[in-house]
Amino acid sequence: MLVPGLAPHDAVSNDVRGMTAALRQLGHEVALFAPHARGVDESVYAPDAIDAWLHSSDDMVIYHYCVGWDFALALFRRTRARRVVRYHNITPAEFFSDWSPGYVDACAQGRAQIKAFADLACDLYLGDSPFNIDDFLQLGVAAQRCAVLAPFHEVEQLTSLEADPRRLPEGAPLLLMVGRLSPNKGHLNLIDALAACKAGVAPDAHLLSIGKLDPNLARYGDALQDRIAMRSLEANVTMLQDANGAELRAAFERADVLLMLSQHEGFCVPLIEAMALGTPVIALASSAIPWTLGDAGLLWDSTDPHLIATAVARVRSDVQLRATMRERGRRRYAEAFAPDVLARGLKSIMTRFEAA
Amino acid sequence: MSSGSNDDYLVRVQAEIRADADLARARTPLPRRDPPVELLRAQGTDGIERERLDDALDDLTGTHYIAFIHHAFRALLKRAPDDAGCTAQLRVLANGASQAEVLGNLRWSPEGRRVGARVRGLLPRYALAKIVRVPVLGYCVEWGIAVAALPVLMRHQRAADTSVAARFATMADTQRERDGRLQELGKSVAELPANLDQRVAEIGTQIRGALRHLVILEQRATAMEARSSTLAHGDGERAREIADLRHSVHTTNHWVVSLQRSLGMIEDAAQEQRLRAEQLAVAAHESTGAAATQHARHSLWANELATQLPAASIVLDLGSGDGTWLDALTAHGVAARGIEANSVWVARAQARGVQIAHGDPQDALARCPDASLGGLVLAADTLSASNVGIAELLVHAQRTLQAGGCLLLRLESGMMRVTRDSALLLDPAHWAAILRGAGFALVSELNCAGATALLARRA
Repeated sequence: MLVPGLAPHDAVSNDVRGMTAALRQLGHEVALFAPHARGVDESVYAPDAIDAWLHSSDDMVIYHYCVGWDFALALFRRTRARRVVRYHNITPAEFFSDWSPGYVDACAQGRAQIKAFADLACDLYLGDSPFNIDDFLQLGVAAQRCAVLAPFHEVEQLTSLEADPRRLPEGAPLLLMVGRLSPNKGHLNLIDALAACKAGVAPDAHLLSIGKLDPNLARYGDALQDRIAMRSLEANVTMLQDANGAELRAAFERADVLLMLSQHEGFCVPLIEAMALGTPVIALASSAIPWTLGDAGLLWDSTDPHLIATAVARVRSDVQLRATMRERGRRRYAEAFAPDVLARGLKSIMTRFEAA
Repeated sequence: MSSGSNDDYLVRVQAEIRADADLARARTPLPRRDPPVELLRAQGTDGIERERLDDALDDLTGTHYIAFIHHAFRALLKRAPDDAGCTAQLRVLANGASQAEVLGNLRWSPEGRRVGARVRGLLPRYALAKIVRVPVLGYCVEWGIAVAALPVLMRHQRAADTSVAARFATMADTQRERDGRLQELGKSVAELPANLDQRVAEIGTQIRGALRHLVILEQRATAMEARSSTLAHGDGERAREIADLRHSVHTTNHWVVSLQRSLGMIEDAAQEQRLRAEQLAVAAHESTGAAATQHARHSLWANELATQLPAASIVLDLGSGDGTWLDALTAHGVAARGIEANSVWVARAQARGVQIAHGDPQDALARCPDASLGGLVLAADTLSASNVGIAELLVHAQRTLQAGGCLLLRLESGMMRVTRDSALLLDPAHWAAILRGAGFALVSELNCAGATALLARRA
């Protein structure tokens, strides 16, 4: 399992850990290779050592592709082992063009490697969602070499935590957004939607944003603060950049809706957290969000603030709608994203190689 | 509205919501509050004062490598470079581009255009650099420029040869001088234990002598007691005994003075040993060359810490060294106090006008009141060079930091003696585990110029 980095509370790292455990359950020997790792309670080897582990063409390298990494590309070009690209998607560079040249360079480099990996005709391209795998299908990769498996996650651990609401705001309705502060996540639209909520639904409507701001995107953080000031919402927005699991659990419990107006998601783990914890979801129908959410939430193809605010008001006031969304969310989670479902999906995918 | 995955029920609900939204849109426009007009006039398009947007090309090309990139970002984008941006521009320089080309790339990037900095003389130089990149034409232009500039280039080459040779000679002299100093200091430190052993042996001899005197005194006192009942023996005998007693008291007094002098010598030797060890640490730090890259990483770390600190925080920096790190904190608007155990570093910092208290870091932390600090900075070299108990230090850190306060752990090898434990002491994973075990939530791992800092938050 080759990954550019492992860290706690990171979606890709959670997938690596979950997939590793599931493969070991199936009887495979698995070793982790990453240039740096935190929050992992097992040996993680330096990537340079990986060649020594690959003895035969029956061995397999699963590369978790989420950034541009020349090392992985070079390895896939030279190795005789089976090659699996686990694709988590990379945010298009244009989202960052107004905010960070560094991000623009990094994302452009990462996306440029999609074609390079597609040209390698690897044994399997495994996407988190149909939206992700479409990147490879459009480049001519044969459908037989592609598969979709939602990422392994830590939702079960989240649901088992005791909620800690001490730092949460009191406003109502409480709109929740979970995701790092990044231009593709649509925070500016969230603030406009909150303004419409405050003006037309309830004066003490509150937006709780849980997620970190990378200092390299400080300009984007400034723009958010400017927008909040422009809409006179200083008292209606809370941004928690250091929330722990217990606080996240409490946020999902207390929120009236999870408002996800992100314009680019490879999968969107907060959606399945909301579904598992019974929080209704209102979302923009972009990228992988419609597939992940299924029929369990209200999807819109516009971020019009009045539309979103009216939807929030309807979810608050319509008991039947709320109950339907919760029931469908829990069912969607149990049927498509529960850990045993993912483990079965992985087992099914691995049978391809046994047959070969 | 997406209809792909929603059934009739949700489709009907969505249609109703859309109709209600149309009404709401007409009824309540979004509130909007514009910034004051005076503020807009005083600022450029990006909220930056106009006076900060003027530079000359020569102002920006006086530095090299990382310092040049940092200076360029600050001047043209009004911010510190991010890691990826810095690396990208260094790569451009490494590929042979001119400084003018890097400056132009930044100035006319989307972000640079928005900031709108003016650099006198940059446009023609940048245009020339870009023309050179045009296939065929650029090649010809470059040839033309190169041929025309050949005499100047040759003169520069000769000057550069001389400069490099002179620099090498200076460096060799400096290195020799430092080697000699290190050797001398090492020898002095090695000799110290032998001197101390000799002093201890002398003191032992004196103590044994004093004990003998004490025994004699005791015997005489007993004898005096026995004889006190027989005063009738006459005045002459009493006078002799008093004279003997006075002699004994004088002898004891002489021994006590001698003992005090010896103790003073031991204290002086210990002080001297401490000073030499401190000088050795400073010299070792200077010989590593770590200072060359510390400005860039200190700036990055200070920026990250300043971003994460709670409002109006006071930061305590334990092991401030020569004060350059404290400078970086202050430059980023952080209110920080520094403590350093090494008196040589403290003297150097004070000579530069940086106020650092001389004292034991652990003691300074132990004296801080509960929840009085917004941030705490520890250096791994401080931990390695002293007998500070790591567990005890982290317990104090938990106690003195406010809720949400930050702990920054600097893993720099600059002042650290190379030992078997050095690698472990610089291992971020090792420290991350310790911090987590001590109840801190790791915020980020900051890597820059080969050194790492861990930023953690008190839960």
